[in-house]
Amino acid sequence: MQGRIKFVGFLGLAALLLALVARQAAEGASPDPTDPEVTIQALAIIVNRSNSVDALSTSELRRIFLGDRSHWPNGRRITLVMREPGEPERRCMLHDLYQMSEGELKNHFLHGLFTGDILVSPKILATSIGVRKFVFNVPGAIGYVRLSDVDDTVKVLRVDELLPDDKGYRLKVELPVTK
Amino acid sequence: MAAKKKSDAARNTGKLVQTLDRILSAILQQYATLMLVLVFCGVAVVGLLVIRDLESANSSAENMYRVSVQGLLQAGELQYFAQETRRATLYALTTNDSNLQVEYADQTRDADRKVTEGIAEYRQQAVLPEQLELANRLSRDWAEYLGIRDEVLASILEGSTKEAVSLDLSGGVPSFERVKKDLNEVRRLYDEQASQRLANVVATSRRSALRLIGTLGFTFLVSIVAVWAIQRSRMIGAIQLAKLQMEFVASVSHELRTPLAVLNSAADNIADGLVTGKPEIQRYGTVIRTQSRQMSELVDQILLFASVEDRSARYFFESLSVNQILDAAQRSTQELVEGSGFVLEQRVDADLPPVVGDLSALTQCLQNLIGNAVKYGGERKWIGLHASKGTSANGAGFEVRISVVDHGMGIDRSDLPHIFDPFYRSPRVVNMQIHGTGLGLSLAKRIAETMGGALTVVSEISAGSSFTLHLPAAERNEVDLRSAAAQPTSLSQQ
Repeated sequence: MQGRIKFVGFLGLAALLLALVARQAAEGASPDPTDPEVTIQALAIIVNRSNSVDALSTSELRRIFLGDRSHWPNGRRITLVMREPGEPERRCMLHDLYQMSEGELKNHFLHGLFTGDILVSPKILATSIGVRKFVFNVPGAIGYVRLSDVDDTVKVLRVDELLPDDKGYRLKVELPVTK
Repeated sequence: MAAKKKSDAARNTGKLVQTLDRILSAILQQYATLMLVLVFCGVAVVGLLVIRDLESANSSAENMYRVSVQGLLQAGELQYFAQETRRATLYALTTNDSNLQVEYADQTRDADRKVTEGIAEYRQQAVLPEQLELANRLSRDWAEYLGIRDEVLASILEGSTKEAVSLDLSGGVPSFERVKKDLNEVRRLYDEQASQRLANVVATSRRSALRLIGTLGFTFLVSIVAVWAIQRSRMIGAIQLAKLQMEFVASVSHELRTPLAVLNSAADNIADGLVTGKPEIQRYGTVIRTQSRQMSELVDQILLFASVEDRSARYFFESLSVNQILDAAQRSTQELVEGSGFVLEQRVDADLPPVVGDLSALTQCLQNLIGNAVKYGGERKWIGLHASKGTSANGAGFEVRISVVDHGMGIDRSDLPHIFDPFYRSPRVVNMQIHGTGLGLSLAKRIAETMGGALTVVSEISAGSSFTLHLPAAERNEVDLRSAAAQPTSLSQQ
């Protein structure tokens, strides 16, 4: 009796596996219209036009974006502007600059704010234009936007002496393109 | 003595009125049309002035609306957008959402751009020093407020709400109050400007009305004066005509009474048997014949004048040589000239062209002129009768001039314009009791004009007079005259 039950259970499991495989096969046969293709664009680090800083090294930039550095050389407080979690620009920063996961970054800021090492939490904005306008309005703000979203209301910083257009610029954002 | 003075004064006044009337009459005769044209021009000028004033008032009103009313609207808009700038900034304080805060920042910047543009526009339009100063102050205060606003906005976006509020209270509020005050001042200035312009429009309107009333009054007055003057001139003319007619009647009666008295007396003497013997009867016969002829001539002249006056006279136009006319005239006046002891010296230039006219009428014309020369020829008792050729007054052809010249008393300069008027007699000859009807020269002139010519006079007191009959030479009007000569022509057809 016990052997029969095991056999039925095995058959059931096999049928389930078969169904899954069949489904997967069926899915592979018809193409998905939302299948993402990826384009790559440079990610510009922008500051207010009144900011005297023109260039930063990657390590300095990392320190600023981690909240380890709180003031600009002119004494103005640094305000970090970020995109919402999940946005390609944020993923790029996490990958290329922070080299952290989303969770690690959250933990870092929670810890810093709790200990008082970080004075102000980063500002989270929903759009690139929002980031750009924020930086335009706040003299001590620093943020990141795709190069295509940059205009003359803000200043683009050199990172490791390279502008986003230059060859060898490291901050690149992968943007999904829907067909 | 007093009565004499009063009488002198009355006489002087009468003379003055008479002179005034004469001047007025002369002016109106010459310039009545001109006066009417002047009145018309006056009315046209009034119309133009009224139109100009209306346009001016209209333009002022438009200008007032454009500058003041639109200025007030502009000031209102400035106030609104300044409030919007502040409202959006303060709204950013009410949220922690950075996205909303950025939106409010956008709103405040949009509003402040409009205010900045409005202030620039106001500065550009400012003309008065007060306006320029206010524009500069407003611009300065607004820039100062925007500086503080930017700081406040930055603090809000950074998340430093407390710092933002503190900054706004310490700097933003007073700065914005100054801007508000400046904007109120702008509004007040526009208000004042509007009031001033309104007062100007009212003043212009009042001035226009006064000018209109004044010019209309003036035109009305001029019209009344013109109408009065024309009426008075007509009245004076009528009075003068009546007076002349009365004088004429008196003169004719007087002229008739003398020969009638002589005839009456002669008839009485003959009837009473007082005239006896052939020489006596012959003497009486001569007297009766002379007086009868004189009366007959007088009656003829009156009838001739009447016929010319009622334009019923008919003339027979024919080609006449100058000698033919002169001989006829000389024949008809020979008895008078010789009887008065005058010498008639005739001088006729060679190769005179013929003229066209009525021989009888032309003879009558020259007879009147020679008769006057006898009457007023004075002691020299000489009459010249000259015929010559000359260019006509319009320069179109030739004319024959027949002049009757005497060396007598001459004509006063003031009488010259009137001597051709019917019934006119110079006061000087009236005083000298030289008899006449005042019709001779008038008749002569009319005859000359009817013949297509003219009668002119040159005279000097105590030196004599020269009357010239101008007749167009026949060559010029040959065709017309040939047809005219074929049938009798009345004056009314000339």
